[in-house]
Amino acid sequence: MDPIQSLHWILFLPLVSATCIALFLRRHGSIAAWLSTATAFSIAGLALNLLLTTDGKIGWHHDLAKLGEISLGFGYLLDANARLMLFVVTFVAAWIHLFSIGYMQEDEARGRFFGGLSIFMFSILGIVLADNLLMTFIFWELVGFSSYMLIAHYFDKDFAAAASKKAFITNRVGDLGFILGIAFCLHHYGTLNFEALASVSTFQGVPIIVGLLLMCGFLGKSAQFPLHVWLTDAMAGPTPVSALIHAATMVAAGVYFMARVSFLLAPEVLQWMAVSGAGMAALAGLCALAQTDIKKSLAYSTLAHLGIMGCALGLGHPELAVLHMAMHAFFKATLFLGAGSVIHGCHHEQDMLKMGGLLKKMPITAATFIAATLSNCAVPFFAGWYSKDAIIEAAWHQHHYAIFTFLALAALATCIYSGRMLRLVFLGQPQSKNAEQAHESPWTMTTPIIILGLGYSIAAGFAADAIIPASSRQVIEKPLQEMAFHLSAPSTWVGIFALTFGLLGSLKFYAIFPGRDSLQVFSPQTYKLLEYRYFDHAYGWYINHIQRRLAEFIAFLDLLVINGLAVRWIAGGFTAAVGQLTSRTFHRGQTRGYALWITLGSLLIIWFLLAR
Amino acid sequence: MENTTLAHHLLLAGLLFVIGLTGVLVRRNLLVIYMCLELMLTAATLALVAFSRFNQTMDGAVFVFFIITVAAAEVAVGLALIVALFRQQKTVQSNELNTLCD
Repeated sequence: MDPIQSLHWILFLPLVSATCIALFLRRHGSIAAWLSTATAFSIAGLALNLLLTTDGKIGWHHDLAKLGEISLGFGYLLDANARLMLFVVTFVAAWIHLFSIGYMQEDEARGRFFGGLSIFMFSILGIVLADNLLMTFIFWELVGFSSYMLIAHYFDKDFAAAASKKAFITNRVGDLGFILGIAFCLHHYGTLNFEALASVSTFQGVPIIVGLLLMCGFLGKSAQFPLHVWLTDAMAGPTPVSALIHAATMVAAGVYFMARVSFLLAPEVLQWMAVSGAGMAALAGLCALAQTDIKKSLAYSTLAHLGIMGCALGLGHPELAVLHMAMHAFFKATLFLGAGSVIHGCHHEQDMLKMGGLLKKMPITAATFIAATLSNCAVPFFAGWYSKDAIIEAAWHQHHYAIFTFLALAALATCIYSGRMLRLVFLGQPQSKNAEQAHESPWTMTTPIIILGLGYSIAAGFAADAIIPASSRQVIEKPLQEMAFHLSAPSTWVGIFALTFGLLGSLKFYAIFPGRDSLQVFSPQTYKLLEYRYFDHAYGWYINHIQRRLAEFIAFLDLLVINGLAVRWIAGGFTAAVGQLTSRTFHRGQTRGYALWITLGSLLIIWFLLAR
Repeated sequence: MENTTLAHHLLLAGLLFVIGLTGVLVRRNLLVIYMCLELMLTAATLALVAFSRFNQTMDGAVFVFFIITVAAAEVAVGLALIVALFRQQKTVQSNELNTLCD
C-alpha cells in the first residue's frame, strides 16, 4: 500500500468504527468493544508497517478551500517527531483497548465507552498527522470533546459530571489563546502550513505574541501551570481513559504540538515554559504525597512529568521533550493500567490506605507496576532514566541552576511518592476486606500491562534498537548519544541521591504506621499544606467575586439598554405603530386584495429593474 | 401571415396575460379565477413558443410540451382543492373565504 493511502486508513478507520458504534452498536456492548479493539490493533499494525517500510518525511496536502491568497487545507506531515508519536499513540492505545475489554466487562454503557475511545483515536491521530495549524485546531477540539465525553462516562455521578465540565471549560480558556494565535499567524505570515511557517519565520522573525498565544493551547491541553487544575479531577473517568487520554497521549499532544511549532516560540516564551514547567514539576511531585486515591496520586505524577516535558521544551530541546513524552507514555500507561487492575481486583477500592499486601495476591500486576515505577523514578537503564536525566542534565549545562534545583526536587519527590505507592499498595498487610479478597485480573487486562510494563518500561530506552521502528528512532538517537553514561554528571548524582534517599527512605518511612499515612501522622500541617488545592480556591474566588460581578453588570446593561431601550421601546414601538397602520390597509382577508398587492409589487420590481 | 413578426406574437401574449390578470383581480368565483390563472400561464407559454420560433431554436418549443404536461397535472390538483374547499365551506366565492382574517 502506498504510504499516503495507509495514512488515510490509519486516520479514518477509527472514525468508521466510532460511526458504526454510534449508529448500530449502542446496545451491543461486547460487539462494540471488540470492533473498537480490532480497529485499534489494525491501525497499530498499519502504522508499524508504515514506519518500518518508509523513511524520511512524508507529506500530502489537499486544499479544501481557497480564500484569496490563503488556502485552508487538509494534509499529512510525517516527520521524525510525528513518526515517534504515531508509534506511541497507536501502540499504547491498542493495548489499552484490550485492557478496557476486561476492565469494562460489567459496565452497562460499554458501547458508548468504546465509541468514545474510537472517536478519541480519530482525533488524536489527526493532531499527530496534521500539516497545518487549522487542521490541528479542529482535531484539537475533537480531542477535547472526546476527553469530555469519556471523563463524564459515569455522568450520573455528580463528581464525574463536574470534572468533565471543569476539564472542558479549562481547555476552552487555553484554546481561546490558541485560535487567536492561529489568526495572528495567518495575519502575520499569510500561511498556516507548518513547513511554510518554518521557512517564513526564519527570515521574518518571530514576534513574542505568536508563541504566547499558541502556548495557551498547550497550557490547557497539557495541563501546564496555571491551567493544570483539570487534570487531577479528570481521574473521575474510567481508569483506561485516565491511562490513554490523561496520561499517555492527549496531554502529551500539547508537548508534541509545541515541538512541532518550536520555531514559532520566542526566547521569552521558552524561558517562561522552562521555569513554570520545572516549578510545576516540583510542586506536583510533592502534592502527590498527600493523595490517598491511587489515581489522583498518579495524576499528580503525570502533572510532574508534563512539567518536566514543558521544561525541556523551554530549555530548547523539543526532541528531548518528545522523547520523554514517549517514554512517559509507556510507563505511565502501565502505572495507570496497573492501578486499574488493582482497583478491579480490590472491588473498586481506590484508597491506597485500604490496600496493602497485594504483591502476593496479584503477582503479575505487582511485577509490572514495580517495573513501571522504577522507570518512573528514572532508575538507570529503565526507560524514564534516558529521557528524564537528559533533561536534568540539559538544565545544568545551560546554567539554569534554579530550573535544575526544581527538577532535582521533582526527581526526589517522584522517588518518594513512588516508594509510598509501592509500600501502601503492594507491601505490608491488607488493610481492608476488599484487599484481602483481591484476585488477579483476567488475561485481557494482564496481557497489556505485561507488554507495556515489562516490555517497554524496562526496555524502551535500553533496547530502543529492537523495539522502536528505526524510522521513528531519529528523535531518540540524539539524546541517547548525548547521554552516553556520564557517571560524573550532576544529573547522575541527583538520580542516585533521589533513589537511595527517596525510594528506599519512603519504603521504610511509610511502613511505620500501617493503615495510616505516616506523613499525616508526623506532620499534619505539612500534609494539609500539600493537600490544599490553592488554585481551585483561587479560581473559585475569582469566578465568584470578580467574574460573576462583571457578568451581572453586563446582564444589567443588557436588560436596560438592549432589552429595554432598543427592543421594547424603539423596535417594539415602531412595530406597533406600523402594525396599526398596515393591518387596516393590507390584511383584510380578501384574496383579491392580496392578488392586487402582489401585482403592484411585481410591477414595482419590473419598473425598478427596467428603469436602471 | 407572411408579415407577422415577433412583436405581434408578444403583443398577443401580453394581451392574454393582462386579460387573465384582470380576471384574477376582479372576479370572485374561485373557478373563474382559476381559469384566468391558466390563461396567464398560457400567455407565458405562447411567448415562449414565439421566442423559440423566431430565434430558430427548438428549446422553447420542447419546453412547452413539459409546461403543458405539468400544467395538466397541476389543474387536476387545483380543481380537486376547489372541490374539497366547496365541500367544507359550502362556497367558492373568494370574498366569503376569509376565515383566517376574523
